[in-house]
Amino acid sequence: MHNLGFALEGAWKVLAAGLVLGAGLPALFALGIRTLAWGDGGAAEADASAAPHAAGKVLGWVLFAVVLLGVLLGITFIVASGLGKALSFEHVFPTIVDK
Amino acid sequence: MTFWRHVRYGVLNSGGSLDGRLLAIAWRGHYLHVTETSVILALVVVTALGFDFTNGFHDTANAMATSIATKALRPKVAVALSGILNLVGAFLSVEVALTVSNAVVKIQDKSGAPKAELLADGGTALLLIVLAGLVGGIIWNLLTWLLGLPSSSSHALFGGLIGATIAGLGWAGVNWNGDGSKLDGVIGKVILPAIMSPVIAGVVAAVGTWLIYRITVGVAARFTDNGFRWGQIGSASLVSLAHGTNDAQKTMGVITLALIAAGDWDDTGSIPFWVKAACALAIAAGTYLGGWRIIRTLGKGLVEIAPPQGLAAESASAAVILASSHLGFALSTTHVATGSILGSGVGKPGAQVRWRVAGRMVAAWLITLPAAAVVGALMWWIGHGLGDGLVGSLAVFVILLAAATFMYLRSRRTPVDHNNVNDEWDDARPPADRVPAESAH
Repeated sequence: MHNLGFALEGAWKVLAAGLVLGAGLPALFALGIRTLAWGDGGAAEADASAAPHAAGKVLGWVLFAVVLLGVLLGITFIVASGLGKALSFEHVFPTIVDK
Repeated sequence: MTFWRHVRYGVLNSGGSLDGRLLAIAWRGHYLHVTETSVILALVVVTALGFDFTNGFHDTANAMATSIATKALRPKVAVALSGILNLVGAFLSVEVALTVSNAVVKIQDKSGAPKAELLADGGTALLLIVLAGLVGGIIWNLLTWLLGLPSSSSHALFGGLIGATIAGLGWAGVNWNGDGSKLDGVIGKVILPAIMSPVIAGVVAAVGTWLIYRITVGVAARFTDNGFRWGQIGSASLVSLAHGTNDAQKTMGVITLALIAAGDWDDTGSIPFWVKAACALAIAAGTYLGGWRIIRTLGKGLVEIAPPQGLAAESASAAVILASSHLGFALSTTHVATGSILGSGVGKPGAQVRWRVAGRMVAAWLITLPAAAVVGALMWWIGHGLGDGLVGSLAVFVILLAAATFMYLRSRRTPVDHNNVNDEWDDARPPADRVPAESAH
């Protein structure tokens, strides 16, 4: 059953990438929401007497930006593979290369 | 009236070879001569586009069921957005693999050109296999849609092709297990991914859901509602775009294969533009129509989805689909989406998962490939029994039209559309069971 071996090998990678991008990014997104609420303070937070934090707003949007980059990476991948290119992570940051 | 008086049909059998048999269509004295092969080719193209259309509405739910159920998007807006993104995605498929069916059946060589022995009769042998396979896929897609079951369109297509190939070429015509050098064959490309992908997607979505709930506990609704709404729309859009690129390609490959077999195209490295445009429009129109019955099952039947779960489920689907295609690990969008939604139910503390509904889906997944194969094989035998030529192909096509009409009429008895797609799920009587038991007349 060589196929089972190949499939399991692929499955682990998909699971790892899926956890980082598919669960990690939404978690960062949720953290962004939480941070924005923390920045707003008061009734927005679990503790209604919390003071507003200016840093919360900045940090919240930074987190959203990270998530957005992840989404852009996904779109780049779809477009690149549609055009017959591939996305390479050889130099850590993604680059578009020929297949 | 005048038009019909001037139209005359006639089959002129000039004897001997099939290519010599001409179908002459006369219109106002102008005779248009077309070979039998071209008429069969036209049937194959129309049927392939029909399959693409069912592929579209069967899979709208994969991307949009959660956003519709959580009311992040109004139903009509959701299907319109998904349709447009499918259209864009399909046009992005510049490099279409002609060899898409090579993973399961041996009707082409490595370059994607049809095998020479299937081209002896002007390509009709190959065209009949493809036609019968497509009809098998469509009929199974329509039946599962009628029952509101999210089964895989790729499995239906592959199943139909496998069945028609077994009927036409025997068991050896099917690529069961590949050659051992890579993930290949029915087992490697279809069955193993079908078992693994829903589990992977489910784990990812469950972890995502759990994390999101933990992180946002106690945060005011005005922050979470708006945030999760945009998160859901973004992730669902990504799934729609990926679906357009992945799924429309399969039909493009099949149509181009038929064109090559009939001698109307000879480049295995590219596809005609009209094929791409027609497939893109067919899948987008299907998506826009929306398979409301399936959207209802996925959005309301399986789990009562809350916005954080919707975000987690669609993000998991998008990530798993993209990661797998990056690794060349073929899988079905439907299996991934269903696994993700189940996972989002498992990951939410105290959420209810309707395992009975899940069980019905898994049963549908298991029988999709063999059932579509049986229909594909039956269609091939009917077409073959009627002489492999135009008559047989027309008969298969008419059977398809009759079955489609029957199932459409049947669906009108218990219509599900954008108005009632979000109605409360009645556990005792899921929509499929509400179809009257007595046979239709």
